[in-house]
Amino acid sequence: MIQSKKHVWSSVVKHGLLILLAFVAVFPLYWLVISSFKDAGEIYSASLIPMRPTLENYVYALQEIPLFRMLGNSVVVSLSVMACQLVTSVLTAYALIRWDFPGKKVVYGLLTLTWLVPFQAIMVPNYVQVNAWGLKGNPLAIILPYLASAFACISMYQSFNSFPRALLDAARLEGRSELRTLFCIVLPNMKSTIASLGILLFINSWNEYMWPMLVVNGQESAPIQIGLKSFLGSDTNSWGSLMAATTISCIPILVLYLFMQKRIVNSFMKWGIK
Amino acid sequence: MKAITLQPPKTAVSPSLPRASAQPRQGMRLGRKLKPYLFLLPALALILFWVYKPLVQTLSLALCRWTMVPGTEPQFVGLSNFARLLTNKDFLPAVLNTLFYTVGMLPFAVIIPLLLAVATQNVNEKARRVYRALYFIPMIMAPVATSTIFQWLCAPGTGLLNRLLSALGVVEAGASFFTDPQLCRVIILLISGWKMLGFSTILFSAALTGVNTQYYEAARLDGAGAFRQFWDVTLPMISPTIMLLVMMSVLFSSQWTFAYIDVLSQGGPYGMSTNIYYLMYKFAFNDMNVGLCAAAATMFMVFFGILALLLQRANRKLAFYDN
Repeated sequence: MIQSKKHVWSSVVKHGLLILLAFVAVFPLYWLVISSFKDAGEIYSASLIPMRPTLENYVYALQEIPLFRMLGNSVVVSLSVMACQLVTSVLTAYALIRWDFPGKKVVYGLLTLTWLVPFQAIMVPNYVQVNAWGLKGNPLAIILPYLASAFACISMYQSFNSFPRALLDAARLEGRSELRTLFCIVLPNMKSTIASLGILLFINSWNEYMWPMLVVNGQESAPIQIGLKSFLGSDTNSWGSLMAATTISCIPILVLYLFMQKRIVNSFMKWGIK
Repeated sequence: MKAITLQPPKTAVSPSLPRASAQPRQGMRLGRKLKPYLFLLPALALILFWVYKPLVQTLSLALCRWTMVPGTEPQFVGLSNFARLLTNKDFLPAVLNTLFYTVGMLPFAVIIPLLLAVATQNVNEKARRVYRALYFIPMIMAPVATSTIFQWLCAPGTGLLNRLLSALGVVEAGASFFTDPQLCRVIILLISGWKMLGFSTILFSAALTGVNTQYYEAARLDGAGAFRQFWDVTLPMISPTIMLLVMMSVLFSSQWTFAYIDVLSQGGPYGMSTNIYYLMYKFAFNDMNVGLCAAAATMFMVFFGILALLLQRANRKLAFYDN
């Protein structure tokens, strides 16, 4: 009897702590969304639900900055970056598991050492390079430096490492070409891994801020993060419209999260964060 | 990061140059030898071009004076950039703030999550999944969006957090967090901490469920209390996760704060919230002083490189892998 009472109490304390942490994690997002639906008279009140829900903040934000255009830019940039990083990392991972070749250690070392190169140590030369090609303000400028990612290559390699070598040897004996082995044997088995890593790369690219900030010129070609920053800095915004714009900028990622929550959490846990 | 042991490369076959009268078989052999490199080429070429080439350029720019004006050439000035960096009035505060952000991150990335995870061990799987889904949300939020939300929460006089704290008497009514020299960096630290807190807790919880319960039973049989169990069983068993998170926060927390600093305070007021990475950005793109930026980048890359090596060594010594 005493034992079970103690058990109940410990369970209450545990869930209390967990709920507190959940509240801390979610409340800012909740406050963001409900603020965006409050009208000018209500925005400063502390009420936890909008008493007179309105869309006026959204209408205003959409008038002031081309939010949908920016969302579109972000989608194009992030999808291209994701696709290219997946292709280059799949090829790299395949080479690393398939063959032992001179220089393999050097290649792996070059990939892991990028870990220690901060963005600030390469930003000026890359900025000069992109400008020299006349790409400033062009979405290509945002994409080009991120066509391959060492992080993607290493993560892909770690997953490919568990692929049974016997299957590769069998394919070799059958005389299949390497590309066919890769496409018909390796990739179908690695579909789930590739999808998970793809989502992670997409989110990383979607949230990217520093590099786009340097090379974007004007609102028309800006991805959503840069657009949001410029709206924040302009004096045409009010808190309500700023929250509406922020909510719109979060929607794609949140929808993605809603449907693939488990996969996203697992891939972050497996490969960590950049 | 787990170290991956590669199979040692097979001893290279003695290099035989293709002769003019090379037989087809030899050509095929060469083709086969080139294959791995062809697969590696796209990623490797891109990484060499966009990471290692600019890195070498930065190392050499550290010895030059340059304003990035097109048509001008960097001028060699030797080590004077380093001397000017060390005497720059913004340098020391930025270094101290880097230390502040790095050390300040440890409670959010390691200590609090570890305690929370231990305190909430053995919650049933279903409930755990729900909590996990919620804790993870800060992690996927974009830094810019996060910044605007907290700017609204902290708005002077009208923000919810601002009003709450002034009602509790922690700050004066209407205090402006982002223009207060002392508060600004604390708020920026809290925001980056908020981002890591849930994620670290998830990682620790996952590590704890992986611990073999037999160890706890053995410890209990030996008469170990809750604290001894934590100290002798839990800590060693999840030491790899602890080391991973310590390493990540030490090496990267200053880089994570960049976006918050840029959106919320631009390093101000009076440089009180800047860190070394934000200072590098300002040297290059505000002051157009590329040499100074490159010198700082070089210096801190070496510093963090050595730190990473030391941590890796500590990791090998301290982390315990249960095989």
